[in-house]
Amino acid sequence: MTDKIIDILTDISGADEGEILADTELFEEGVLDSFGLVQLVVALEGEGYKLDLAELDRSQVSTPAKIAQLLQ
Amino acid sequence: MSAGGRESIMQFLEKLAAWAQTDRTAIVYGEERLRYAELEARSNAFAHWLLRTLGDDRSPVLLYGHKELALPACMFGALKAGRGYVPVDTSFPPERVRQIVEELRPALIVDLCGLGLEDGRVLSAGELEEILHADSEPVPPSFWIRPEQAAYILFTSGSTGRAKGVQVSAGNIAAFLEGVAPWFDSETENGVILNEISYSFDVSVCALYYGLGHGMLLYTLDRQTLSDPKRLFEALAASGVTLWVSTPSLAELCVPSERFSRALLPRVERFVFCGEVLTEKLSRQMLERFPDVQLINAYGPTEATVLVTAARVTEELLAEGPSVPIGAPFSPVRAWIAGPEGEELPEGEEGELLLAGDCVSPGYLFRPELNARAFFTDPVSGKRGYRTGDLCFIKNGLVYYCGRLDGQVKLNGFRVELEDVENNLVKLPNIARAAVLPVLTDGKPSSLTAFVLLEAPDGLSSLKRTQRLRAALGELVPSYMIPRRIVAVDAFPLNTNGKIDKKALAALL
Repeated sequence: MTDKIIDILTDISGADEGEILADTELFEEGVLDSFGLVQLVVALEGEGYKLDLAELDRSQVSTPAKIAQLLQ
Repeated sequence: MSAGGRESIMQFLEKLAAWAQTDRTAIVYGEERLRYAELEARSNAFAHWLLRTLGDDRSPVLLYGHKELALPACMFGALKAGRGYVPVDTSFPPERVRQIVEELRPALIVDLCGLGLEDGRVLSAGELEEILHADSEPVPPSFWIRPEQAAYILFTSGSTGRAKGVQVSAGNIAAFLEGVAPWFDSETENGVILNEISYSFDVSVCALYYGLGHGMLLYTLDRQTLSDPKRLFEALAASGVTLWVSTPSLAELCVPSERFSRALLPRVERFVFCGEVLTEKLSRQMLERFPDVQLINAYGPTEATVLVTAARVTEELLAEGPSVPIGAPFSPVRAWIAGPEGEELPEGEEGELLLAGDCVSPGYLFRPELNARAFFTDPVSGKRGYRTGDLCFIKNGLVYYCGRLDGQVKLNGFRVELEDVENNLVKLPNIARAAVLPVLTDGKPSSLTAFVLLEAPDGLSSLKRTQRLRAALGELVPSYMIPRRIVAVDAFPLNTNGKIDKKALAALL
C-alpha cells in the first residue's frame, strides 16, 4: 500500500523515483500542499480507497506510511 | 450624493455609521469578533490621526497584512481622511514590497506582520492598536469623497517582472455596487458573507463593500483554516454563511468530501464564483449537491472593478454549451467583442472582450505606455473603456471566455503573468533560462510548472532542487506565483524564431 501511495505522490510532485520514502514529511518537504492533498484523495479514490477530506487532519497524512495506516 | 440610483461611497460610509448604532457583529476572524460600532470608532480614530499626522500629504497609505481585523478600519479611516489605501498581502516578499514602496511613495506604511522595512514612515501593529483604540474622538472628521478620488490601488503581477498598480476610484466602487446589487441582494435578515480572499485582491471588495454596506457578518477564513481540510469543514459548519463568494478553487477543495452539501451550509442562498474559470464539472457537482441554491458565475478584471458580468448557472444553461458562460454585462456596463483592427464582431465570433463604463479604472500607476494600450474612450457610450486581453465570444447575449491573448493565467483567483515568474527565475543563481507553463485540470489552470536550463549541473534530486528554487524564488515573488514543480531540462525546444517552443514543452507536463 505504501508503495502505491509513494507512486501517486511521485507523480503529483514530480519527484525522482526513490526520492519519496515511507517516512518523508510530505508537507515539510514540499511534496504536498492543500491542492496536492486533494489530488491525492481523488487519485486514491480512483484506486478504490476512500479518504474523507472533511475528517482529515494534516498530521494524519504527513507521511506515506501514515496515509497507508489510515487506509488499512 | 447619488446618480441614477447609484449609491456613492459617502452613502456607503453613512450606512456603516448607521450599522454602528446596532449591536451587530461586522467581522469574525478566528476567535476574534469586531462589532460595527468598533469598526466605526476605530476607522474614525485612524482618520483623525492621519489628518493630524500627515497634514496635507495626500499620498496613499500602504497596508501590509492579510485579513487582520485592523485592516478594514484602516481602509475606511484612510477614505474618511481623504486618502487612498494600498493593501499589500503578506504573501508578497519584502523585496517585492520594497519595489512597490519605491514606486508608490506612500505617506505611511502600516506593517501588521513585521515586514522589517527600515523606513521612517512605518507604523507597527502595536502603534496602530494604540491609535485605533483612542476613543477621544468618536465622530468622523468632516469629509467629502469625490467620485474621481482614488479609493484603493491593487498591485498585480506585471509582465516585466515588477508588480503594477491598478488604481480604483470611489466612483468605480459605486458603479460596482450598483452592478452587483441584483445578483447579491437578499431579503434574509442577519446575512453572512464568506470572507475568503485576502484584502489585497479585488474579490474581497464584495465582502468589504457589499457585505458591510448591507450589515452582513463577514466570516473570515484565515490561511491556516484554508490549508487544513478538517479545520476548513469545521469553520464552514460554524459559519452560517448565506452568501458564498469565492474562487471556484475553494469549492474544488471541498467537493471531494460528501460532507460538502446542504447539511453543512443550511443557510446558504447562493454561490457566486469568480476570479477564475468555473468548469462544467464543478458546476454540475454544485447543482447536484445544492439543488435549491442559486449558482452564479461572475467575471471581471481588477481594471473594471471586481465584477462586470454574471450568469445564473443551471442544468439547461450547461446543456447549451460549449462551456460555462461568464454571463451578461451588468446594466451600467457595455461589453463587446473586438477583432484585430478594433472592429466590433458579431455574435458567435471570437475576439478580445472590451468593456466600457463607470466601473473602468483611471489606469495603472505610473505606466503611461501601458495605459495608452489598455484604456480608451468608448465612442458609443462616451465612457472610459478597457481592453481586457481576454479572448471571448458572445452567444445569446452571454459572454463565453476562451482564454487569454497574452501569457497571463488566473491561478486560484490570482492573476499571474508567466513572464513575471520567468523574469524572476532567471535572477536566481545558476539559472540560464526559464519557461513557465500552467498545468491544466479539467481545462483550468491549477498550478504552474517551471522548466529551467541550469548553467552548470547542481547534483540535486528533483525534489531538493524544486525545494531550493521555490524557497529562493519566494524571496522575489508572492507565494501564489511560485511554480509547484520545477523541472531541469538539458535544452529547450526552440521554434523557428529561436524562441522557447512552449507548445513542445507543454507535451512534457
